[in-house]
Amino acid sequence: MRLHYLQKHSPITKSMNLKAATLLASISLGILSGCGVTARIEPYKETEAFLAEGERVVVLARKHHASHEAEEDFIDCVSDGLAGPYYDAGGLNVHNSTEFEDSLYPWFEPSMAPLTTDELAELLEKPNVLDRVRSSGVRFVVWLDGSTDRFASGGGITCAAGVGGAGCVGLAWWEDDARYDATVWDLRELSTAGTIFADYNGKSVMPALIIPIPLIARPQAAACRGLTLQLRQFLTSPSIYGAGPELISN
Amino acid sequence: MEIMRVKSLWTELRHLVVAGAGVLLAGCSSSIWVEGDWPQPLIEPLPVRMGLLLDDEFLDYVHYEEIPRQATYTIQIGEANELMMDRLFQSMFAALEPVYVLPLAQADSYRIDGVLRPELDRYEFDVPLGERDEFVEVWIQYLVRLYEPDGQLVTEWPVSGYGKAELNGRDASLNRATVVAMREVGAVISTRFSEQPDIQYWLQERANATALSSEALSNN
Repeated sequence: MRLHYLQKHSPITKSMNLKAATLLASISLGILSGCGVTARIEPYKETEAFLAEGERVVVLARKHHASHEAEEDFIDCVSDGLAGPYYDAGGLNVHNSTEFEDSLYPWFEPSMAPLTTDELAELLEKPNVLDRVRSSGVRFVVWLDGSTDRFASGGGITCAAGVGGAGCVGLAWWEDDARYDATVWDLRELSTAGTIFADYNGKSVMPALIIPIPLIARPQAAACRGLTLQLRQFLTSPSIYGAGPELISN
Repeated sequence: MEIMRVKSLWTELRHLVVAGAGVLLAGCSSSIWVEGDWPQPLIEPLPVRMGLLLDDEFLDYVHYEEIPRQATYTIQIGEANELMMDRLFQSMFAALEPVYVLPLAQADSYRIDGVLRPELDRYEFDVPLGERDEFVEVWIQYLVRLYEPDGQLVTEWPVSGYGKAELNGRDASLNRATVVAMREVGAVISTRFSEQPDIQYWLQERANATALSSEALSNN
């Protein structure tokens, strides 16, 4: 007769395993819940103007600040997003930003670009400028101001290698804030058609248990997607909407 | 056998050290040939015929700078100088032609009202080291000299420009910031040239002289 004994875990071991699993789950949940992007978008459309057939829009960066400037990649991202299709809708007619600035050189260089629609009106009175703008087909200018900055970071990861192996341990985190203002000018009416304020905050975490596990939030990419969507709605909708925030420009 | 293995290992290690040193040294020096787009300014040309004198120092301008504990920079701006100034001044005046000597020969002085001779006076830049700095910055200053055809100096006008570019590859960003600064200089020259007091007076004299000669011609 053979007796079969079921190997049983002792109550103490069971309890320890359960506690370790709970601890690991809590830590993981804590880390994961800290990641991600929070967003705030405030569109404000003042007029009923919209992009008609044959009309174009151009996206430009505000470059007169000494401390910051909307990144070239971000401008390209928004331009490409507007020009690309969106579900069943086709892309908008977007003028290349560099070509627009070159065709109107020197009037859109950083020190010369009009900062208000009054200055825009003065600019269009200069010889040949209005003709050049008309021939470009551009109806709306979208001025993008802002930047993505890292405003907090902490923790650390230590890696070591030895004869038996290598590995890392630790926890690093950082928070990025992508904050942009889009001001839309109507070149036909010589007025501001509206503004869109976008603030995307992202926290990234990189725990390291033997190998680093990057959990990266991308607020700039999210800001591009969000702003593009809002601009598309803004430029194709004939209705007035939103009560925009007071935008403070430096 | 053991000795052979050690020798071979030592040779490999030496090669690795040399290669690594090469990589490090290459990272410590930057050589940039400034290239950019120089569009023609959208302005009304002034009704004068100008000569453009670009001397060798201007055409071959190289900025060399050693920054301790950072890098050595060699920035070739001469070709960009020529392209930018040529496109700029072509649009600014009714006629522009190259000249190679001052004072002008008598034959040339009848068809040229004045001679421009730009000089690159100063070039400064800053490449960020820390994480907080995001931009490469360039400051550039030119001296624009206007001469009468007989070589007499009318005015010397300092024009400066500032350019910045986000740090995205040190050399590419330095090129980009330089181009922005040079375009700013072009913007100032093209829009404010005729507002300089000495130049304003000179232009008025040319206009009066042209009016007088037209009147004389019509009377004959």
